[in-house]
Amino acid sequence: MRKKYLLIILWILIPFFAEAALLAAFMRTGRTGGGFLQDTVAVNEIARTVEAHWGDLEEPIFQENCPFAYDFTVLDREGNLLWKSAEGLSESINAAISHRDTILDVARDGATVGKVIIHNGSEEDYEARKRNLAMALLLVFLLQAAVLLGYTAWIYYRLIRPFRRLKGFAERVAGGNLDVPLQMDRHNLFGAFTESFDIMRSELRKARLAEAQANAAKKELVAKLSHDIKTPVASIKAASELGLALSDSDRMRDNYTQIIRKADQINTLITDLFTATLEELQQLTVAPTDISSGELALLLENADYLHRSQIPPIPSCLLHADRLRLQQVLDNLFANSYKYAGTEIVVAITREKCCLAVLIEDFGGGVPDQELPLLKEKFRRGSNVGDREGAGLGLFISDYFMREMGGDLIVENGAGGLRVRVMIPLSRA
Amino acid sequence: MGSNLRRSRGQTFSVAVLILLAAAMLNMWLMLAMDYRQNFDRCHDRLHGEHVTLAMDSEPGEVRSFLTDVLEEEPEVTEYYMDDALCMVGNFAYNGGEVNTEFVILEKDAALERPIGRVEIVEEGDGETGVYLPMLYKTGDIAVGRLIELKIGSNTVNYPVSGFFNSVMAGSHNCGMCELLLTRDLYEELEERGYAPKATLLSVRLAHGGSSAEYEADLKSKVSEGFPYSRVISNSYAMVSTSRYISQMICSGIVSAMAFFVLLIALVVIASNIGNHIQENMRNLGALKAVGYTSRQLVLSLLVQFLGISLAAAVLGTGLSYLLFPSINAMMISQTGIPYEMGFLPLPCVLSFGILGTAVALAVWLSSRRIRKIDPILALRQGIETHNFRQNHVPLDKTGLSLNLALALKNTLSGVRQNVTVCVTMLVLSLVVVFSGLMVENMIADIRPFLYMVVGETADSCVNVNVGIEEAFLGEMESEPDVEKIYLYNTVNVRHAEGMDLMAMLCDDFSQVNNQDVCIQGRFPRYDNEVAIAAKYAGEKELEIGEEIRLTVGEREERYIITGFTQISNNLGRDCLLTREGYEKLGELQNLSYYLVLREGADLEDFHERVRQNFAGNVNTTLDIQSIIGGTASVYVSLMKIIVCAVLFLSVIIIAFVLFLLVRTMLGRKKHDYGILKALGFTTGQLIVQTALSFMPAMILSTAAGLVVCSLVINPLVALFLNGIGIVKCTFTVPVGFVAAAGAGLVLLAFGIACLLSLRIRKITPCDLLKGESF
Amino acid sequence: MKKILLKTESLSKSFSSGGVLQHVLKNIDLELYEGDFTVIMGASGAGKSTLLYALSGMDTPTLGRITFGGEVISDYNPDELAVFRRRHCGFVFQQIYLIDGMSLMDNVLAAGLLVNKDRKALAERAGELFRAVNIPEETWHKFPTQISGGEAQRAGIVRGLINSPEILYADEPTGALNSRTGLQVLDTLTEFNRRGQSVVMVTHDMRSARRGNRILYLKDGVILGECSLGAYEHGDVKRHEKLSAFLTEMGW
Repeated sequence: MRKKYLLIILWILIPFFAEAALLAAFMRTGRTGGGFLQDTVAVNEIARTVEAHWGDLEEPIFQENCPFAYDFTVLDREGNLLWKSAEGLSESINAAISHRDTILDVARDGATVGKVIIHNGSEEDYEARKRNLAMALLLVFLLQAAVLLGYTAWIYYRLIRPFRRLKGFAERVAGGNLDVPLQMDRHNLFGAFTESFDIMRSELRKARLAEAQANAAKKELVAKLSHDIKTPVASIKAASELGLALSDSDRMRDNYTQIIRKADQINTLITDLFTATLEELQQLTVAPTDISSGELALLLENADYLHRSQIPPIPSCLLHADRLRLQQVLDNLFANSYKYAGTEIVVAITREKCCLAVLIEDFGGGVPDQELPLLKEKFRRGSNVGDREGAGLGLFISDYFMREMGGDLIVENGAGGLRVRVMIPLSRA
Repeated sequence: MGSNLRRSRGQTFSVAVLILLAAAMLNMWLMLAMDYRQNFDRCHDRLHGEHVTLAMDSEPGEVRSFLTDVLEEEPEVTEYYMDDALCMVGNFAYNGGEVNTEFVILEKDAALERPIGRVEIVEEGDGETGVYLPMLYKTGDIAVGRLIELKIGSNTVNYPVSGFFNSVMAGSHNCGMCELLLTRDLYEELEERGYAPKATLLSVRLAHGGSSAEYEADLKSKVSEGFPYSRVISNSYAMVSTSRYISQMICSGIVSAMAFFVLLIALVVIASNIGNHIQENMRNLGALKAVGYTSRQLVLSLLVQFLGISLAAAVLGTGLSYLLFPSINAMMISQTGIPYEMGFLPLPCVLSFGILGTAVALAVWLSSRRIRKIDPILALRQGIETHNFRQNHVPLDKTGLSLNLALALKNTLSGVRQNVTVCVTMLVLSLVVVFSGLMVENMIADIRPFLYMVVGETADSCVNVNVGIEEAFLGEMESEPDVEKIYLYNTVNVRHAEGMDLMAMLCDDFSQVNNQDVCIQGRFPRYDNEVAIAAKYAGEKELEIGEEIRLTVGEREERYIITGFTQISNNLGRDCLLTREGYEKLGELQNLSYYLVLREGADLEDFHERVRQNFAGNVNTTLDIQSIIGGTASVYVSLMKIIVCAVLFLSVIIIAFVLFLLVRTMLGRKKHDYGILKALGFTTGQLIVQTALSFMPAMILSTAAGLVVCSLVINPLVALFLNGIGIVKCTFTVPVGFVAAAGAGLVLLAFGIACLLSLRIRKITPCDLLKGESF
Repeated sequence: MKKILLKTESLSKSFSSGGVLQHVLKNIDLELYEGDFTVIMGASGAGKSTLLYALSGMDTPTLGRITFGGEVISDYNPDELAVFRRRHCGFVFQQIYLIDGMSLMDNVLAAGLLVNKDRKALAERAGELFRAVNIPEETWHKFPTQISGGEAQRAGIVRGLINSPEILYADEPTGALNSRTGLQVLDTLTEFNRRGQSVVMVTHDMRSARRGNRILYLKDGVILGECSLGAYEHGDVKRHEKLSAFLTEMGW
């Protein structure tokens, strides 16, 4: 708003500044160059030219080539007119003196031969100046008038008219008609003012409506409150999780967790080994967590250390598995294949309804069909083991692990050899 | 409150950098202005320098007694000393051109023992015999042990250089005379050969150094009265101290201007920073007020923060200026020729801290006044007032602009503060651009405009002949095919009856001279009672065109009408132009210098040789004007090149930092909006373009306006800078193409930088919106 | 059989907080059909909004695939996603998120002009939509701070629909509104759905949920159950009871 007032004041001041500037300009030109003072350089030039051309003043070259700043007449020593640049100039010394003209001697070879009378043009100058001043002043006055007119019009449109409208509005409100809104003019100075009036009106109207709806609102209040409480609670939760996530250097923390985890893993494995020999298999703990299916690639790579298989693309999903136990299962399966089949291994991974199926198949010929259901039992080994050492525990434990995770281990004979399907459960609630 | 700075580390950093730059330049300027010039006085004192030097051809006896009489009766004179010298016009190759000056040749040991105007050896080889040159001329080609070819009058000698010396009053061609020291054997040999006439070198110390110029004029006129046919050369403390420090003056002028501009930008940036801070923290500030903080306390805390940063930056900046100073000194020394010992200067340091501190404090205080107006209750409730009348300047349903442009424009119009900052920055930088353009066009690419302004008249050759053979010479030149134009351009000394000695340039017809711009107001003299005088001198003496002045030579005095003002800085603004007839009313010309313009491709050396042979004995000197100018001018050109580069580099840095700040602020403010826009499907690229574009209207407008305005005012401004060397009006052409291209370049550069800086938008994701909500 | 608009396979989303991975969505397999008013319900923190933003291409899933019209949008880079969003998705946010510095019309057109360069046709469509949501013409050029929350949210719906998106995503659209204005917003959504606009709405509010014809119940990042209701009829008691029973079963 303040900017606008500044603008108004500026507008009013502009003509005054213009007038002042004009006046100053006239004052200045009045004092110096081109005006009442005679240009001595130009006078000198006239005098010297006349001197140089003394004797042939009538020659056209002299007249054409010298566009002089002042009109002048040339007299000889006797006062006879030799030359004049225009009509109406002083043609004798006496006339020159009375007209306040400049009279200069013309010297040749040290002797005065005549006189140059430089016309005194200050009267004409003065007249022209007066005319110019009058014109300029008139112009400025017109400008000022225009500005003032414009200003008046502006005041009318921006102040008076809105006020009139406001008056009608106030009468309507006083009469109890609260429904007609006040047309708000964004550009008018009193926009805020009219706006507040309109706010007043709408507030009044609202108050009435609110009164009518008071009872209904009570019910809603309860619902609203309950909702209002929910949102901040959720916000607080999310924010605190975020805070936790951002709080630390992850790398260091990960490194340390890794080390601790690995130490735990070794510890668990040794404990488990003991337990297994004591046939206390029920105590092998399986603690499934949500892991990304992408991690399966790493597990498979670890298990297949002879690189007999190609790891297929893994459908991306979230698994519910114990990373350590799953690794053991896969280790076991690959080790078995290395030990008994020693062939290429085919791995295929597919997403089933509620689990991810990892299919591992070799080309070692498999086992007799009747032995298949028994393979997963404790201390049971296939008939074709030969003299290869083993405890017969591997598949039993693997099966146990998978079932603990909520998945399954399915052993069957495939086209070329034994086919094991590891069913890893998907993460669900 | 402290969080303001910590939160916006980037902004603080760029404010600090701007302040640092300002401090560095401010301090450098103060060092240049306050101490560098003083160095001359220190050197002057150390060598017990004279205030007026005068050398005149003569056999000793008569002249010396005359001089002694003159000096003894002058109460101003405190000490004087006279000894023998050889004195002649001469030249040698230097810096790609040649130096042409009056050699004052002294015997080395005598020069070292002069009680006044001593000479100190700066560098010395083992050679037993050789010549010592002023240290100014030490370049790759001129070094101890090498041979140097000196032309003394029209004879050539070759001497080994055995060292360099420092002389205050006669140590450079800028001084009007240049001392050379010869070892005794060479000196005697030269005296024997008579290449240079014997002369008396007079050094005078005055009680008041300030009146040196007047006394020089006085002394010289007395001497020429007594010995009208002796060649007299002289200089004064005032003239030498000015002419040896021209580049220092230009440099410090430019550095000071840049310092204040950078400071101005820094202040605008601080003000806008505080404005944003207040707007964004309205609620916090309201809360603090509600708790009981007074406005004064809040303002004070801002003040302390910014002053802290500024002072820290200022300390670093001052350090930076000390790091940069040696290279500036190296640049300057090639012009001043006086060694400068750098040391810590407490006063400039304190002053620049003071200026910075005050300016920053004022900016903070003024821009934080709004804090006082915060009403705690209102601020707490709303943050900002509710019913603000926002005008929709760019309604998307009506505008014809593309979407990105329209949204950018909305951004532009919503931030007054950023626009002000951009405008101020670009206005300042456009001045820099115009200045650089001017210098490139008129000095670096084509040095002629600069020379015309500084040197006055240039031609290809100058031949000085004795007056007796003038007609024969002119006749010969008339028929010489190589000569395109020949005109009299002779320099003599006259004395303004109410003032000082003036150097008068004589010409038969001034419409013939090459540089018609010499006359900056009025016209050249045409008749024998007319004169044009240096504008600077006229200003000092309050002379107007049309007034009459009296000029004297010896006893004779004539009146002349002033027809015009000239500017030639050869004599630091103490010149006048007279027609030949005009001068001949005062005195006789013994010899005449004619300027010649030769046909393109003509062999100047050969031509000079022919002239010398044809008029043997009557040709005093032949000069290769272009190469003389080349040697002198190359110093200025290289100085200006460095300045232009530095100044442009600085501009780029400033743009980068200002934009850095603005973009940071804008991203901070608009993060929420950008999140929404991204959610709606705006790509990062679009938002970056929008952000960068939103700076463009202010940038383009202010650059354009700045370039136009600066192009109009740059000439008077440069004239103001160069006022010290007699320049009153500057008529350099502004290279429209260059300026327009540089302006466009500046805008494009800014756009590029803004784009780069707003790459951070990549990090804003629509999901940032979800923060604070449930998953 | 309804046309499948969008399909997810094993959609999972994890956030890392304090070095610990948090799985907010787990293997969501979901198909969204054309013309449905799908409501995603669940308690706070069940992952509703996360699911919505993953479905709408606002965010990329950690695992799994999302396909839309044969395109796998889960592989898109942020800019491609932005283009996807502007062409195919409309959004209505709980916090409304109109841009304060722009008038309602500009807010709508800023989204519209991204896709359609025909300013005039766009302004006409915006006008139609504004009228359809009962925002009078004099309000179109007001700024968001000058109008009520309900009006703002309806303007938000206009913005969401300006590009005729295949799916309109609404994240608790009534969350920041009072009951009455919330109802208007819900009515608006229902009306547009009746005209064939597919809507996906997240809510934890029973009243809002009633508007859907397909209710998904999300718990701990997994779709626990799904309930098909017919098209919304005002005061349909049976429909309401079915929903209540479903929610009770889900442990609401």
